[in-house]
Amino acid sequence: MSTIQSEQSPQAGIGVELTPELLRKRRGQLRIIFDRFIRNKVAVAGLAVLALITLAAIFAPVITHQTATFDPNTATDVYHIASGPIPGHPLGTDYVGRDEVARLLFGARVSLLVGLASMVASIFIGVSVGALAGYYGGWLDNLMMRVTDAFLAIPLYLILFVLAATFTTGSGSASVIGVIVLIAAFSWPATARIVRGEFLGLKEREFLLAARTLGANDFRLMLRHILPNAAGPVIVAATLLVGFNIITESTLSFFNFGVQPPESSWGTMLATSQDYFSEQPLLVLIPGVAILITVLSINLVGDGLRDALDPYMTER
Amino acid sequence: MAAEIAQPYPSAEVASDTLVDVRNLKVHFPIRGGLLGRTVASVKAVDGVDLTIKRGETLGLVGESGCGKSTLGRAVLQLVKPTDGSVIFEGTDLTRTSYGTLRRMRADMQMIFQDPFSSLDPRFTVGRIISEPMVNFGRGTSQEREARVKELLQVVGLNPAWVHRYPHEFSGGQRQRIGIARALALNPKFIVADEPISALDVSIQAQVLNLLADLRDQFNLTYLFIAHNLSAVKHVSKRVAVMYLGHIVELGSGDDVYANPQHPYTIALLSASPIPDPELELTRKRIILTGDVPSPVNPPSGCPFHPRCWKAQAICREVAPPLEEKRPNQIAACHFPGA
Repeated sequence: MSTIQSEQSPQAGIGVELTPELLRKRRGQLRIIFDRFIRNKVAVAGLAVLALITLAAIFAPVITHQTATFDPNTATDVYHIASGPIPGHPLGTDYVGRDEVARLLFGARVSLLVGLASMVASIFIGVSVGALAGYYGGWLDNLMMRVTDAFLAIPLYLILFVLAATFTTGSGSASVIGVIVLIAAFSWPATARIVRGEFLGLKEREFLLAARTLGANDFRLMLRHILPNAAGPVIVAATLLVGFNIITESTLSFFNFGVQPPESSWGTMLATSQDYFSEQPLLVLIPGVAILITVLSINLVGDGLRDALDPYMTER
Repeated sequence: MAAEIAQPYPSAEVASDTLVDVRNLKVHFPIRGGLLGRTVASVKAVDGVDLTIKRGETLGLVGESGCGKSTLGRAVLQLVKPTDGSVIFEGTDLTRTSYGTLRRMRADMQMIFQDPFSSLDPRFTVGRIISEPMVNFGRGTSQEREARVKELLQVVGLNPAWVHRYPHEFSGGQRQRIGIARALALNPKFIVADEPISALDVSIQAQVLNLLADLRDQFNLTYLFIAHNLSAVKHVSKRVAVMYLGHIVELGSGDDVYANPQHPYTIALLSASPIPDPELELTRKRIILTGDVPSPVNPPSGCPFHPRCWKAQAICREVAPPLEEKRPNQIAACHFPGA
């Protein structure tokens, strides 16, 4: 190892002058992506709203001035039923007198949890399937992609309703886990296809051939070389999945196949208040607008990330 | 490092000064068609090549685009699985050895790639790129690797302070130097240089060629130097092989092949390079080959060159000429060799 007599070749050590232009180019890739994202005002606004919603969900008990024993699903104010905004209940109460602000904030916890957790599980399945299929090709690819096609051909809500009838019958938090598993099990195929496509394109690149001559094994090639280069589309898919999964959860809950009472999500709030729409339309509007704003923000962030991560977007 | 892998396949026949012995190597890529994906034909990219490369020598391999020279280089390193034949590296047949042995032996045989823009992982810093082979083979501690990376950067003429930069911050020539430093990281014995200069500016080509020649002398390297440019090959290699349509058509010392080409294809190739003397250049007779390179899916019968050869006779269409000695130490595959 120590046999190199480092003979100073003429090019070595020629100091390149640090012009402002060069300094600009020296920013790391993450920095470049960050800068591009920051310049997208709409996406930044989406991110800000999202951060606000997440914080509100985390600090729900603090915001609603409640003690640790407070349960928004059972705490009722029997003197005010479907009241509309009144002092003490800024967004009013629902049909059994539960405070809407508390319901909304605690519901956000469930909705966001379901959205995020099912996204993580779904991305994990999708990336694994897509990576193996794209990398190894051949019969494995064929098999995995036909399974993926089969999953895509299933009418999503139909099968979710059927399966939810058996899976999410448990009450409360058990139903939340059931919903997460169900959504993850049926939302991975799109990711698998994206990842497979990326792997197919990237595995022919010379740096992978180079990595193989350098003694990298298949696992290292996939994990260290291909996946980071496919990260952009995966991150975008992941972001959009969160929004999609929140809607799916709401839809399931709306039809009473999702999160079961007394646990509440925005979907269950919608479902239980629709009967009172003519008397108190606010009860439907509040969770509806919450879903709309959250999903819209997530999608804006996703679009912003897609643009920021696109290497072909010229830097302006 | 010197631990020889005990697998004495045909080591008795291999002369001790031979590092790489390629025997009847074939690489056929299947073309699949139909509903069931049956193999309907195959691209005969490399179709029976015999080569020996001696320790410390540089064997130049020239031929036009699509003649199979890159595939041959990759098949020698087992980056492409050969269909038939064997590659014996220091007594071990790489085509028959286990995955683990092959992986260990990769430390001794490296590759320099044609395209310096796609051969470096865009998400790795220069330091990570060059230290990756050492990490894969568990060489040294991280401090030792870092020192080695800086040493290598200096050897290839780059500033050691640039370890934290990304490939996109470098020019083509600099990137090619990074690729060379990476290939050197494990102290290999054998390097396949796959058109290492053809993607570079002309002004940079000579620098990189000289660097490769210097490194060969400094570290006692053996090269298989692939190029489509005869003058580049002449500059670095003593022995030259000319490839056409998956076959070696001529092989000899550079001086002989250039002064007395035996195969008509070599003659045509040589006539295509300009002479840097204006008066001689005026007298240069160019042989313009007619027709296209035949498809390697369906190569011509007999001599693969006969459809484009001005000397072709009936026998060329029927009998493939064997690769045999036409002049001392100069072999060619032609029924009517010489000018």
